[in-house]
Amino acid sequence: MPRGSGKPQKLAAISYIPWLGDFKLEINISTISILLNIVVVNMVNPVGQGLFPTGNDLSSIILNILWVVFFFSMILLFNQRLQIWTYQRNVEKATIKLQMLADKSREEALKSVQKYAQENIDIRSQVTSFLDFFTIEPVDRDPFGVLNRLEHLLDNRRDRFKAFVAQIAPKAGKAEAANTEDILEAAMALNFIFKVVRHYLILGKKTKSLMIFVQLDMQLPLIMKMAEAYFNAQKTFSAGKPIGDGLGPLVASKLMFGQPKRVIAEDIVCSEVDISNRKAYVLKAEGPGGLLGKPGEAVKRLVEDMGGKVARIFMVDASSKLEGENTGEVVEGVGAAIGDPGPEKYKIEEVATKYKIPLDAIVCKMDLEEALTTMKKEIVEASEIIIEKIKKAIVERTKEGDVVIIAGIGNTIGIGQ
Amino acid sequence: MQRDRKPKFAIISILLTFGAFILFVLATIVDPLSTYSNILMVAGLALLAASWGVYFIGGRSLQRAEVATENVITVIGCKGCDIREERPFSEGDYVFKEVGPCKKCAGTSYIRAIYAIPIKKD
Repeated sequence: MPRGSGKPQKLAAISYIPWLGDFKLEINISTISILLNIVVVNMVNPVGQGLFPTGNDLSSIILNILWVVFFFSMILLFNQRLQIWTYQRNVEKATIKLQMLADKSREEALKSVQKYAQENIDIRSQVTSFLDFFTIEPVDRDPFGVLNRLEHLLDNRRDRFKAFVAQIAPKAGKAEAANTEDILEAAMALNFIFKVVRHYLILGKKTKSLMIFVQLDMQLPLIMKMAEAYFNAQKTFSAGKPIGDGLGPLVASKLMFGQPKRVIAEDIVCSEVDISNRKAYVLKAEGPGGLLGKPGEAVKRLVEDMGGKVARIFMVDASSKLEGENTGEVVEGVGAAIGDPGPEKYKIEEVATKYKIPLDAIVCKMDLEEALTTMKKEIVEASEIIIEKIKKAIVERTKEGDVVIIAGIGNTIGIGQ
Repeated sequence: MQRDRKPKFAIISILLTFGAFILFVLATIVDPLSTYSNILMVAGLALLAASWGVYFIGGRSLQRAEVATENVITVIGCKGCDIREERPFSEGDYVFKEVGPCKKCAGTSYIRAIYAIPIKKD
């Protein structure tokens, strides 16, 4: 069986049974309606002529008519109500579970913050109200300069987060404060998911709309998966363990290990490393706190400082895998491998295009939960494969004396340098 | 959400419903003896109730919040030699953290890797 390929093959056939799931309740209800008819027939006519009385007497005719009316009334009149009830019940159960996850994650966030808070200060109300913090995306009807505006808003958001954490957790160091920000982010995500699902549940109940419930029910497996990923991620953030998304920083850390470092952009450190007589500038977010930094800004500054004399830019990041792909699979491509909302990616693409610098991307496959929770062994092993691929690519695609940039993209929680 | 149910509960539920249906049909066939007919009817109703019970209660286990269980390992290495040690993760560990002198040589020990191994659930 290939790595990470879910359940064993022998269960493949039986796993098709849940396909009946959407019809099971309808099957049960239809059966119930038929059986109730049988009960009625037998109660009225215990020594009668069975399921379908065939006699010509009045009672047989009335019973047959009753049977037909009852059956069709169940099918035609109550069909949609029964469906609404079925879907509503599923959504209600999911909403209860989401509420539980949101409440637990808020408590977890409070517990984490309390460690670094001042004594005798109640932070509950502050944290609870901060979970509803929002960011309004910039208007994109006029797209000119939209990324600059977005970057400005993201900077504002990050500053507000830092200020809030500094206010409620003054005893936290840089790494602990960064981890606390991540913990709050996870709690906010769960709070938002719960509120959106609850909104559609109540809306569906008010409007009695089957469509709202059907759409919600169809999306629930993915929504629940996402919510559970954030919930588990929060525990990882609390402990300060490295997460799957930290693959890029891990690769960069291994390359820059033992070399002097300098800060070249916000929360980004850089080292000069010699790889096969080429000068490599390796950069990553400054760990071990849960930071992402501004790698786009760092790459742009490096390239501009060198007047564009950079042979290649290598970017290493985690990538979401498709179902069926294996966790830890390493894949190569071209382009800016970075999953930010836009500004950092744009800066890298812009500077690479300006100086015609080839962009190489090396990614490691993992799913959302693996990216947000403790790094798996397969991902740690993939980091070694990526280092070998980078070294090989540098030898094959650049000349001696060239300058290259290697950017390890991702959250560096639990990974120093 | 119904797709989350365990398949065996779906099969049991359907089988019980089918059994109930057969009993009800039998009850209508043996009507000359109304006593047997009523017994079969009651048995059928019991099976039907069991079918619903299995459907609504038995399949709930996957709906509960699943707590991720994993074993997190911290791997210790040395800058001066090739020693490798593994121990459970403890709070404050991070990759490339220096953790004191090496047991084998005079070099400095550091954390080489931290990773999770999932614990298989029954």
